[in-house]
Amino acid sequence: MAQEIRKIKESFEKDLEKGKSKDFFQELKVKYLGRKSKISELFSNIPNLPKQERGRWGKELNILKNQISSAIEERLSEKIQKEERLDLTYPAKRPQKGSIHILSSVTKEICLIFKELGFNVIEGNEVEDEWHNFSALNIPLDHPSRDAFDTFYLDLAKKDKKSGNWLLRSHTSPSQIRIMQQVDPPLAVISPGRVYRPDVVDATHSFMFYQIEGFVVGQDINFSYLKGTLLYFARQFFSQEVQLRFRPHFFPFTEPSAEVDVSCVICSKKNKQKNQDRCPVCKGKGWLEILGCGMIHPDVLEACNIDSKKYQGFAFGMGVDRIVMQKYQINDIRLFYENDINFLKQFSI
Amino acid sequence: MDFSLNFIKQFVDIKNSAQDLAERLTSAGLEVENVEKVSDDWVFSAEVTTNRYDWLSIVGIAQEVAAVLGKKIKLDYPRIKTTPKPTKKKILIDNLDDCSYYLGREIKKVKVKQSPAWLKKILINSKLTSVNNIVDVTNYCMLKWGNPLHAFDLDKIKGDIHIRRAKDKEEFIGIDQKQRTLTSENLVIADSKKVIALAGIMGAKNSEVTANSKNIFLEAAKFSPITIRCSRRAIGLDTESSYRFERRVSESFLEYASGEATDKILKLAEAEFTGYRKVGKKTESKPKQITIKLSKMKNYLGADFKTGEVKKILTSLNFKVKKDLPDTIKVKPALSRFDIEKEVDVYEEFARIYGYNKIEPKIPFIEKALKTNPVLEKEENSWKFKNKIRDFAALLGFAEIITYSMENKDELSLFTEEEGLGLRNPLRSQENSLRPTLFLGMIKSIKHNLNRGKENLAFFEIADKYKKKGGNKVDENTFLSLGVSGDRQRFFLLKGAVLEILDYLNINYLINQTKLMSANNALEIKVKDRTIGFIGKLDEKLKEKFGLKEDLFLSELNLNLLGKFKQDKKFESFSKFPVIWRDISLAIDKNTKFKKIQKIIEEGSRHLLNLKIIDTYQDKNLSKDHFGFTLRLFYQSREKTLNSNQVDSYHNQIREKLYNKEGIILR
Repeated sequence: MAQEIRKIKESFEKDLEKGKSKDFFQELKVKYLGRKSKISELFSNIPNLPKQERGRWGKELNILKNQISSAIEERLSEKIQKEERLDLTYPAKRPQKGSIHILSSVTKEICLIFKELGFNVIEGNEVEDEWHNFSALNIPLDHPSRDAFDTFYLDLAKKDKKSGNWLLRSHTSPSQIRIMQQVDPPLAVISPGRVYRPDVVDATHSFMFYQIEGFVVGQDINFSYLKGTLLYFARQFFSQEVQLRFRPHFFPFTEPSAEVDVSCVICSKKNKQKNQDRCPVCKGKGWLEILGCGMIHPDVLEACNIDSKKYQGFAFGMGVDRIVMQKYQINDIRLFYENDINFLKQFSI
Repeated sequence: MDFSLNFIKQFVDIKNSAQDLAERLTSAGLEVENVEKVSDDWVFSAEVTTNRYDWLSIVGIAQEVAAVLGKKIKLDYPRIKTTPKPTKKKILIDNLDDCSYYLGREIKKVKVKQSPAWLKKILINSKLTSVNNIVDVTNYCMLKWGNPLHAFDLDKIKGDIHIRRAKDKEEFIGIDQKQRTLTSENLVIADSKKVIALAGIMGAKNSEVTANSKNIFLEAAKFSPITIRCSRRAIGLDTESSYRFERRVSESFLEYASGEATDKILKLAEAEFTGYRKVGKKTESKPKQITIKLSKMKNYLGADFKTGEVKKILTSLNFKVKKDLPDTIKVKPALSRFDIEKEVDVYEEFARIYGYNKIEPKIPFIEKALKTNPVLEKEENSWKFKNKIRDFAALLGFAEIITYSMENKDELSLFTEEEGLGLRNPLRSQENSLRPTLFLGMIKSIKHNLNRGKENLAFFEIADKYKKKGGNKVDENTFLSLGVSGDRQRFFLLKGAVLEILDYLNINYLINQTKLMSANNALEIKVKDRTIGFIGKLDEKLKEKFGLKEDLFLSELNLNLLGKFKQDKKFESFSKFPVIWRDISLAIDKNTKFKKIQKIIEEGSRHLLNLKIIDTYQDKNLSKDHFGFTLRLFYQSREKTLNSNQVDSYHNQIREKLYNKEGIILR
């Protein structure tokens, strides 16, 4: 028996030195400790030994078994550690992610702010007619914006006498006119979308751009509500700290009309006095023009068959491209339509 | 409009600093963009809105300054001399629509010389140049009254004065020395021989007042704003004069401008006034009286103010205000304010001087209806659906692009036989037609990036396509376009993305092989017999034509139809039992489509969950027109754990079905 044990010991020690892989030690485990191993065989032989020797050899065999087992486990855990050690400092492999165009995501963001206040989003069509794009908005037939220099006309026969020529909408107002014609007040509508004006393309002009316009019509909708609505929007969109400045302006479709400036988000007003030339966004003025707005002209309501003696309302409009350029400090409008992946990926979802 | 503060000070008493005044004017609606100190004066640059032609004059601005400062304007009106007798020259107007009113004055024995210092200074501080005493006086009066004037050398005018449209190709050399060819778009002032001025825009070289001029003819007129706008656009020439005529000039100030200019010329050029003639007639009616209900005005502006305040502000604008009933006032706008026609116009006049910023901001309560109006609901659902698709496409790893809605007609014709909708007035030939396909924009965006060393791109766009419907109707529909560049295998990424979208919307579809004009090798997706879109490989010749460095795979899906066919999802139970797989190796010849094998395998198979290709190869044991691959078939039961023998038997049944089929070699 002693000889058998010694033989196992020797053979195991030899085998142990040969071992290199994890699998090898797994096999060694089977060879020395498994059901068909020499040790199991010796264990099962114990009952055949003289009674007084059984205890001693049983003990000896157990010691051997434990020695082998712990030797293997030690090597195994060493191996496992070695084989599984990962160098975590290798570069990351990033999943292929998509992106949403910044004009789309900001358009949605703005619409959602107005939706919170109860506005409905409507988009409408881009191909429109003169009546909806101009006449209904109190823009007279001889107004410069109707010129071929300011509006794209389609090479198509007139729709009918009242509608006039087919054109690409130069603002999203015609879509709002259609809603006012079809749905009775009270109404609160926000309409985003592509609009077109024949401006030669440069860093600040594009013949296609994005606009968001909105209007509210009801019995008591007044200028004070216009101010509040836009201030709410500006504080949600830019920051809670911003102020708005309403400057009287002229639009044929609103009266009173105003242009709205937002206090520069980049430089505070304090900054303005100290560093006149420093702010690259507002150029030291402290204010950025972001919106046009006003109380809807009664002629516009009447054109949509809304009784202007009973109802009044406000309307506003903003260029998304311009607001995005200001907020993200983008200096060239062409970046929006060139679709360079270096640009697109900066605003991934 | 640039103006000098010192000039304004002649009419209003101003103590405020230039910056303070600039801010007050801006808050009242005359946006001062810049103030610049020039010696003892300040030069203001202001943006004048199109309705305020009266602000294109110093008198008009002074009136505004007086209103914002709560002061009165001091203005002396010149005496109008209409004698001596009419001049010998006849003035003929072809069309009163082009020129409704024309005044001519003859001034003789003028001494043309440099202007006095005070005059020069005013012109220079108004960003004009000083020429000589005659021209300078006309410019001074234009600045002051807003009515452009023109002085001709009388001796260079042959015969009568004729206001007519230019003849086609008539030549004109302006005082700027530049030669221009005119068309009937241009209104001109002519004598019996030649054009002596481009009406309302610029005088001609041939009749300008020079140091040698002895006698002059002074023109003051009212030209039609549209005529002047068309004329100056046709030749691309903007002047101080055209700017004012285009926005309209005041008839009542016409005589003042001409009269004051005459007085000043008589004085500064020691001349004699010898004749006066006017042609045409005044067309302006006097401003109408407007009745204002103060309670209504308060409700409109959302502000509370006293009647006295309203009266004070309107009076400062030179409006006449009469108190009527307790809640009512009657308002008569200033003579030059033809833009004031309705109550709301008066509200604005009051509000802008009162201060928009004094009106408190409030948030309106917007009533919600229990049932949304169907028109609004349809519109809003369509918007939501687009957002949903946009988010999902981005989730699939695609980058959203935005491309122009207009493209070149000839390039578009490579993609569709659909006739594009041409533009009457395209900006450039690159964009002369509304697009009936989104592919072109996609190709150009992909190309832009491939040319900058990027590869394996995946883009999408959601935009409208347009086509002619019937004789003169337009069809505009929203589509989703997807584009994937890279090697051939990338096609299947695109196909996978499209199928993911269809699954996302829970749409049952059929896919068939088809051909597109731009993709000979394409698939058509049909739902309930309607084609909802395509997936294809851009043809080699187009890839070359557009100079693409990688293959491009394109898809276009009709969003309206996707929205129509989408279905709500319901939970589907799934098996809890283990999945077991078996592999099968096959080779197919090049004429056999994979779809055929798939159909054979799937038809009548038992417990087959799905299959996937795990390996493809082309080894030497296969003939050249064969292609080998290994399929892994997954089996699962909904009721029990399948044992190995059962799966072997199902798998063998499939092997047997594939055995000896044409074009398929089982290996």
